[in-house]
Amino acid sequence: MSDAPAGVARNVRARATPMLAMRIGWRNLWRNARRTWLTAGGIAFAILLVVFSMALQFGSYAGMTENATSLLTGHLQIQNPAYVNDQRVEHTIADATIVRRQIEATPGVLAVAPRVEIFALALDAEGERSSGVQIMGVDVAAELSTVRFLKMVKQGRVLQSADEAVIGATLARNLGLDVGDELLLLGSAKQGGMAALALRVVGLFESGMAELDRGLLFAELEAVQNAFELGDEVHTFAIKVVDLESIDTTLGMLRREIVRDDVVIRHWEEVLPELQQAIELDRVSGQFLYWMIMILVVFSVVNSFIMTVFERTREFGMLLALGTRPAGIVALVLWEALFMWMLGALIGLSLATGLLWWLADVGIYLGAAMEEFSAQFYMPSRIYPALTAGAMLTAPLVMLIGTLLAALVPALRIPLMQPVEALRAE
Amino acid sequence: MTEVVVRCSGVTRTYQDEAVPVYALRGVDFEVRRGEFVSLAGPSGSGKSTLLNVIGGLDRPDEGRVEVDGTLLNDLSQSELSDMRLNKMGFVFQAYNLIPVLSALENVEFIMQLQGVGAAERKERARVALASLGISELEHRRPGELSGGQQQRAAIARAIVTNPVLLLADEPSANLDSGATQELLELLQRLNEDSGVTIITATHDPMVMSYAKRRINLRDGAIVEDAINEALPA
Ligand SMILES: Nc1ncnc2c1ncn2[C@@H]1O[C@H](COP(=O)(O)OP(=O)(O)OP(=O)(O)O)[C@@H](O)[C@H]1O
Ligand SMILES: [Mg+2]
Repeated sequence: MSDAPAGVARNVRARATPMLAMRIGWRNLWRNARRTWLTAGGIAFAILLVVFSMALQFGSYAGMTENATSLLTGHLQIQNPAYVNDQRVEHTIADATIVRRQIEATPGVLAVAPRVEIFALALDAEGERSSGVQIMGVDVAAELSTVRFLKMVKQGRVLQSADEAVIGATLARNLGLDVGDELLLLGSAKQGGMAALALRVVGLFESGMAELDRGLLFAELEAVQNAFELGDEVHTFAIKVVDLESIDTTLGMLRREIVRDDVVIRHWEEVLPELQQAIELDRVSGQFLYWMIMILVVFSVVNSFIMTVFERTREFGMLLALGTRPAGIVALVLWEALFMWMLGALIGLSLATGLLWWLADVGIYLGAAMEEFSAQFYMPSRIYPALTAGAMLTAPLVMLIGTLLAALVPALRIPLMQPVEALRAE
Repeated sequence: MTEVVVRCSGVTRTYQDEAVPVYALRGVDFEVRRGEFVSLAGPSGSGKSTLLNVIGGLDRPDEGRVEVDGTLLNDLSQSELSDMRLNKMGFVFQAYNLIPVLSALENVEFIMQLQGVGAAERKERARVALASLGISELEHRRPGELSGGQQQRAAIARAIVTNPVLLLADEPSANLDSGATQELLELLQRLNEDSGVTIITATHDPMVMSYAKRRINLRDGAIVEDAINEALPA
């Protein structure tokens, strides 16, 4: 008599570690080594390309941002909220000295430049030529450590005393002025009266930004404050942070430290929205390209697994006949796909990392032609890749999911197979 | 009275082959008792494989009942049939029996892994099975490195390692020369006689028939003869 009960299963099914399934998956990879290398090579290629491009792309954004903000804007700006909407003389921040000290004391702040910004009319000494200008009343030392604009003085020198001015080269030409000449500034003071300020041009700057070269004038902060009847007041604090990547932390700190009605603290993204938009647009178009590349490669993986599953029909029939559950056979195919991905990811990521590591020191020089162009679009002439987790991991993870799905598509045929039919397959 | 392991009654299987019905089995009735060694004989297309597949739960009859070890297969779902095959039956096919990327030992272990047998016990039992088929020294070879006869022996080792109620073999000797066939048959005979494994095999091969204790002759999907092999010592 049988000692087996009349039930269907004598044994409980495996929940043990699928060691043999893993082993089969790995070894199956090498049944058609050429196909495996081609497929894994495709995965590696997609990962290499996308990781590399993303790192460069993100790197170029960091470069662009640094380039743009370090010109004149700074990483953060503090203004009177009214001034943001309407740049009138009276929309100032009061107690500028105190606020400045508070800013300087905030961790994460490297330098801060107080500015008075006033629109006025500039005239040559004879009063024959005139031009609208924006006066920037600045603290030269603070300005030099916050942004690089005043380093672009090409003729003469920077400001040293209260009766001096540095102006754009185009403005100088328009007014017929040269270094050493006098000019007169006329505008309305804070209280509404007439303000006048006579200055001597000591330097000319050429920034490459036509608007600035034509309409910007630098003078000493106190001289401008006095002339326009401002007390200890400024319109803008431009701030340079220690680390651009943790700018949000610094921003939060400043917002907590400086709580005043006449103060709003703005991220460079708000101050330079066009730069932010340019980056966003580039990011989206980049993404489109990355998805295209990865989807194309995933299709080739699908193709490879279609062949694999098709070729093994008879073997799968045998496994089904023995009592392997369809899900168990699908798992074999998925293990194979996982190993396929690991192979591709290993190669792709190693190559990308190696290349990027090297470029992280050297950078990519965009060429002389870029130099002019780059000044306009804030593009740095040399790009350093950003080795961020986002750039390094996005492509491998997308390809992991893609590869598993690619294997799953043909593998879903397996549960539909009839073992007898499959065993007969040619 | 020995226990009935297989009971077929009125088993009919019709294939629809381009609108023309092909009657692979038409009303087959028979029983197999524990410990029997049965050969299904008959010309090509007579329904041998179909009958074996129906008994093995690989194919379903259109009409009639199939009972294996007291379980009515007709009632079982696909996954219950799958469990039934795993736990109660051993299969040996004409070819493609083994997983090509696994060694002989691993192939035998594989079926026990499906059953959830622990690693140590698996290895132990697989070695015993391979030894009983005389291929211990080949345990690390993959199927591609084994001869046809050695492959079939490994397949039998896998089929019996789970102590199945029934060993089903469809043309197990079709790809073997007569020497290898004879070796294989002697092994099957020994398994049957010494270990009491119930064997049903479908074959064209007179040599296979001569080793079986009982021969069932099929023609056009029906049993035309069911006889004890007189040539064998009782
Ligand atoms: N899937 C199928 N579709 C259509 N007809 C089939 C199918 N399977 C079997 N048949 C037909 O059923 C009949 C019996 O086939 P079966 O394979 O059982 O014969 P057999 O006795 O095993 O033959 P052989 O000795 O050639 O293996 C044959 O006429 C065959 O053509
Ligand atoms: Mg047949």
